[in-house]
Amino acid sequence: MNPLPEWLSAGHDETRFRAMLSPDSPYTLEQLAGESKAITLRRFGRTMSLYAPLYLSNHCSSGCAYCGFASDRKTPRRRLEQEEIRKELGAMKRLGISDVLLLTGERTKAANFDYLRTSVATAAADMQRVTVEAFPMSVSEYRELAEAGCTGITIYQETYDPLRYAELHRWGPKKDFRERLETPSRALEGGIKTVGLGVLLGLADPQEDALMLYRHLRYLGKTYWRAGLSVSFPRIRPQTGSYEPPFPVSDHLLARMIFAFRIALPDVELVLSTRESPAFRDGMAGIGVTRMSIASRTTVGGYHDAESSDRGQFDVFDDRTVEAFCNALRDKNIEPVFKNWEHAYNGPSHMEAEK
Amino acid sequence: MDSLHIGSYTFSSRLILGTGKFSSSSVMLEAVKASGTQLVTVALRRFNREQPGDDLFTPLTSIPGITLMPNTSGASTAAEAVQAARIARELSGSPFIKVEIHPNPQHLMPDPIETYEASKILAKEGFLVMPYIPADPVLAKRLEEAGCVSVMPLGSAIGSGQGLATAEMLKIIIRESTIPVIVDAGLRSPSEAALAMEMGCDAVLVNSAVAVAGNPPVMAEAFAEAVAAGRKAFAAGIMEKSGIAVATSPLTSFLGTEA
Repeated sequence: MNPLPEWLSAGHDETRFRAMLSPDSPYTLEQLAGESKAITLRRFGRTMSLYAPLYLSNHCSSGCAYCGFASDRKTPRRRLEQEEIRKELGAMKRLGISDVLLLTGERTKAANFDYLRTSVATAAADMQRVTVEAFPMSVSEYRELAEAGCTGITIYQETYDPLRYAELHRWGPKKDFRERLETPSRALEGGIKTVGLGVLLGLADPQEDALMLYRHLRYLGKTYWRAGLSVSFPRIRPQTGSYEPPFPVSDHLLARMIFAFRIALPDVELVLSTRESPAFRDGMAGIGVTRMSIASRTTVGGYHDAESSDRGQFDVFDDRTVEAFCNALRDKNIEPVFKNWEHAYNGPSHMEAEK
Repeated sequence: MDSLHIGSYTFSSRLILGTGKFSSSSVMLEAVKASGTQLVTVALRRFNREQPGDDLFTPLTSIPGITLMPNTSGASTAAEAVQAARIARELSGSPFIKVEIHPNPQHLMPDPIETYEASKILAKEGFLVMPYIPADPVLAKRLEEAGCVSVMPLGSAIGSGQGLATAEMLKIIIRESTIPVIVDAGLRSPSEAALAMEMGCDAVLVNSAVAVAGNPPVMAEAFAEAVAAGRKAFAAGIMEKSGIAVATSPLTSFLGTEA
C-alpha cells in the first residue's frame, strides 16, 4: 500500500523547483540569490520579523532518534507552572519580544492539552502574538487553542520519506506518519490561522524532502485558501544524545533550498532559527529569509534563569544578544520588527467563525 | 487651487504614503518629509507603545502638517477590522481608517465581502472610511452608498510592482464615482503614478516602490513630482489620441456635401 496521499505522490508545475535544487542545476547559486533577493524585497521590504521560543516542558513520550528530549534520554524533566511562565514572559518582554512560540514535547500527563491551552491563554494575555509547536491535536482541540489566543502552529513532518520516518520514530504517538502529515490540515480546519512546516535537514535525502514539502505547501494553500504558510529550515545541531545526521546538509545546499522556496512561493514566510551561525543568518537576511528567532533559550525556564547549565533541545549557534543581532540587521539596512501583529486579530479564522 | 477633498479634510498633495517595508523608521520619516505628503497610512499592528524603537506611529506625529490614517492590515474578517479600527481611533485620535482586509496572507488580495461589511459598520460609527478594494466598479458604488469617503482600488497586487494592471476597471470606477478614487497598491515607478493621475484618479497611495528604492527620500520626491504633473495634465485636458483611419473612399460620400 502506498502510504502517501495523492497530493503528495505527484505534483504539477514543479519542473523549475526541481531544477533549482538538482545537483546538476542549470542555475548558479548566485543567479538564484539575485532572483530571491528581488522577490523578498518587493514582497516583504527591508524588514525582518522577530520572535522567540519559550520551552514550556521537556516531558516527552516519543522516541525520536535525533531529539535531545526523546523519552529515553537522561535529561532532567520539568514543566513550567503558570506563575513561572509569566516570569519567563516578563523576562522576554524586557528583551523587547512580543511574538512568542510556545513549545512542548509529545503529549504527556505532565504537559497535556489542558496544560497547553492554559499556557496559551497566559501567554496571550502578555504577548501580541502566540504560536505553538507541540503535539498533534484534534480539530476541536485546535479550535479551543485558537479561542485561547493561539494564531499559528508549527509542525514539522521531519521527513516525508515514510521508511526513514518509521526508522527514526522508534516509539510513541509520533510513529504514525499519516497522522502527523494531516495535522496542519486539522489545525486549519479548527481555525488556526497560520501553519509552519519544515523538514529536519540531515535525516533523509534533502532534495526529495524539499520537493515533498513544496507539494504539501501547495496542497494546503489551495485547500485552505485563508491559511498563512511558513517554512522553516532546521538543520540538525549537536545536542543531548549526540545524533549524527546521515544526510548532512551543507551551507550551500541550505542556501539553495531557501532561494528555491522563495522563488517558487514568493509570499510564504521563510524562517531561520538560532540553530544557524551568525554569519549564515546575517547573510540570508534580506535575500530570502523574512522571519528569525532571537536571543533563544532552548531549555525549560531559560530566560528567567539565564545561568542554567542544562542543555536544551539543541545547542544555539547564534547566541548574540537582542541588541547585537538587531545592530547586525541594521548594518544590512534591514529593520528588525518586534511587533507585527495586533491582539484584535487573535480570534479563530473566518472559516471557523462561519460555522 | 486644485485641492483634494476627503470628507471635511482638504489636502494640497495628492500623494499618500504607506509606512511599512522601510529599512528604518528614520529613512521612512525622511521619505515622508521629502514627498510633501499630507496623508500617511500606518498599520495598527506596527503601533508599539511598549517599545518606542519598534513603534512607527509616534515618530510620525512629530511631522507638522501630516494627517495620519491608521489601517487594519492583518485583519482577516470584518469583525477583526472593526475592532482594530476602534483601537486605532483610541490610540491615534484620527477619524480616518483605511479598511484593509486580506484573509489570504499569501497574495494579500482584499476580501470584497468582509471589506464591505466592515466599512458599513465603521461609516455608521462616524469614521472617515477609506476601503482598500479590488478594482470592481459595482463594489465601489456599493461602498459609496455605505458612506465611505473614498475608495481605494488596487492597480495590481500589493508589492508586485505590476503597475496599472486593472486600468480598464479603474476607468469605469473613476467615471462613475462621486467620491475620491485613490489607486492603492502595485505602482512601481513615478511614470505609472503620473499615468494614474492622467486617467483621472484623485490621488495615489505608494509604499513598496518608495520603501525598497535605492534612495527612498529621493524616490518619494520623484513620485510627488509625477503625481503633481499627472494631475496638472488631467486638469488641463489631454489631447485625444489620433490614429482614426480615414477611408480613401469616404464612407459618407453618398450623403453629398454637408451644408
